[in-house]
Amino acid sequence: MRKHRIVTWLAAVGLSGALLVSGCSGSRDAAGNTGEKVSLKLGYYSSGSSDAKMQELVKRFMDKHPGIEVTTESAPYGKFFQKLDTQIAAGSAPDVWLSDGVYVAKFAERGAAKDLTDWVSKDLNTDDYYGLEFNKDANGRYWGVPQGVQIAVLFYNKEMFDKAGQPYPNENWTWDDLKQAAEVLTLDSSGRNARDPAFDGKAVNQFGLAFFSITEGWMSVFKSYGGGVLDETMQKSVIQSPENKRALEWIVDGMKRNLFTDPSDLKSFKSPVAPFPSRQAAMRIGIYARVLAANEAGLNYDVTLLPKGPDGKRFAPIIANSWVINSKTSDAKAQAAWEWIKYWVTDDEVQKEWARLGEAVPVKKSVANSPLFLETGTPPQNKQAFLDSFAFAGRLDDNAVWEEWLSKFNDSINRAFLGEMPVEEALAKADRDVQQVLDAFYQK
Amino acid sequence: MNYFRLKKAAGYAVILVSSLVMLLPFATAVFNSLKTYQQYTAVPSTWLPDPAQWSNYAEVWNMADFGTYTLNSLIVAILSVIGAILSNSMIAYAFARLEFPLKNTLFLIVLGTMMIPAVVTMIPQFIIFKELNMLDTLMPLWIIEWLGQPFGIFLLRQAFLSVPTAYEDAAKLDGCNPFQIYWRVFLPMCKPALATLAIFTFMTKWNEILLPVLYLTSKEKYTLPIGILALQGQWTGNEQYLVAAALMSLLPILIVFLLGEKYFVHGAGSSGLK
Repeated sequence: MRKHRIVTWLAAVGLSGALLVSGCSGSRDAAGNTGEKVSLKLGYYSSGSSDAKMQELVKRFMDKHPGIEVTTESAPYGKFFQKLDTQIAAGSAPDVWLSDGVYVAKFAERGAAKDLTDWVSKDLNTDDYYGLEFNKDANGRYWGVPQGVQIAVLFYNKEMFDKAGQPYPNENWTWDDLKQAAEVLTLDSSGRNARDPAFDGKAVNQFGLAFFSITEGWMSVFKSYGGGVLDETMQKSVIQSPENKRALEWIVDGMKRNLFTDPSDLKSFKSPVAPFPSRQAAMRIGIYARVLAANEAGLNYDVTLLPKGPDGKRFAPIIANSWVINSKTSDAKAQAAWEWIKYWVTDDEVQKEWARLGEAVPVKKSVANSPLFLETGTPPQNKQAFLDSFAFAGRLDDNAVWEEWLSKFNDSINRAFLGEMPVEEALAKADRDVQQVLDAFYQK
Repeated sequence: MNYFRLKKAAGYAVILVSSLVMLLPFATAVFNSLKTYQQYTAVPSTWLPDPAQWSNYAEVWNMADFGTYTLNSLIVAILSVIGAILSNSMIAYAFARLEFPLKNTLFLIVLGTMMIPAVVTMIPQFIIFKELNMLDTLMPLWIIEWLGQPFGIFLLRQAFLSVPTAYEDAAKLDGCNPFQIYWRVFLPMCKPALATLAIFTFMTKWNEILLPVLYLTSKEKYTLPIGILALQGQWTGNEQYLVAAALMSLLPILIVFLLGEKYFVHGAGSSGLK
């Protein structure tokens, strides 16, 4: 009996030992043994397909730059930035990383990103690239170079328009034109549209417009009405303006009449961006990447420019996801990181390969304006609309505390959307809360 | 007689309804895992996949190196369980049965650490493991379990306190030293509590996302949850694959639970953890 126990115990210890060894094994990488080479740590967020493509491009880069050894680290989108914040605090962030466009200002203003202005002016002809100017701060300094650009247009489901006998949206549309079309395209469970007196707003089967949060929701309406959230210094709230009031009233009216999805409607979907691809909305404000889900769902759709405001002003939100260099990295590594960035934006092959993934508008204008991007043979047909939208594109008032003020803003504005708070009160509260966030950071 | 039958029937009805409530989300997940993306996003959504895409499971398995991810998860979970049982039981035994200065104060401090949110310790912990050159290894994920965790200490201390002192006295008379009493008397007598701790630790480590994301960089070191997360792109869902992968990752937990069910239920019941 005792012998049996000893054997069992020894086996358990042996097993733990083996697992311990295998758990520790491979922990020391060989990065230190690179000879004369500069070793560069590259961080990015990715999914399966984009990760494979990125690895392929990294390999090509190393072939062309034998003096640089690149090691990569990637994580799924949300987790990547959580990890990055910890790494920055611990001083172990990658030498160069891919930043969501709305976070570039955060990294710049908090001292984590390197100023790229001199390199950009020396090595890049800024007119050749989309999105580059959207990474400049108020003083004209560059903090990132775009990897791919997301810009918003109006998506519309052609089948639904045909069925309703409505002409497709066009470039001359105003937001009021959109709302009028939405009245006909919003259908209840009995198939009655919103103009029908018997229309049941509590049982909507098809919304006129899918409306979601900032980029694909209120920002383009606010800005095209002449409003916005922050002034040009990005440190002062301008929320309480007559323009914003008109814009918000226009949105709230659409939600009250159930023509647009409100925040509680979105909760009934598998994801807040699902109504359009799941054929529950006739139109959406959507960034370029939304073509992936629409194509995957097999929709018959197209895109056009976002509508104009009452005074003819137009606005297309833009997010230039960008390469950012770690401010704490050594000069040699920073130079190697710049070589990577230059390779990314200037090399036609890289731009073409990335464009084929279909996730973003290519940064290099010559590639974006080529058949490779414009005539892929898959919807939407009018990809030119994405490029034309650059003429009136603008940022999302992003600054070092973008996430924080957005959360406060949404708290108030969502209550107005749901009819729980009058428009004026919601704007006043949002103004106070947002300014408090800005002051807490900038007035220190 | 009829009254008792009625009462029994009502009892069964309640059990049936509540088990349906529990099972429905699971059944939905199984059905969703067998749909195409079109069926998955279709509105109104349908319950049953038509036809069932059994290939989703094979495709998911081939999408990433799930064999390696599973092995990594197993290494982390098993080493964590061993560490948790050994370290927590030793500390708990000391708090329950040994006499030393400031015992209760120290125990209160240990319990107090349960109130510290994980995000507060995340960065200092990361810096420590960075200095120890343990980044991008599985070690930070399991080694902390070898250093004692307040929850496990509390759980096992309660179990050890419930053992009558007569056993301890008898062991002392037989010539056992404190370690032998702990090893030969208390551990065997507290198997249910140990099994509870083992299952809790296994489940926590198996499902953990934040720490693996933080510490692991190379794909070949990924554990299952972040391997599954990595399937999800920023822009498209492929949710049917995610559901299939999540269901597959449930299997080991199910096996562990079934193996230790008897002890787990007993342990959870007797320690007030329900």
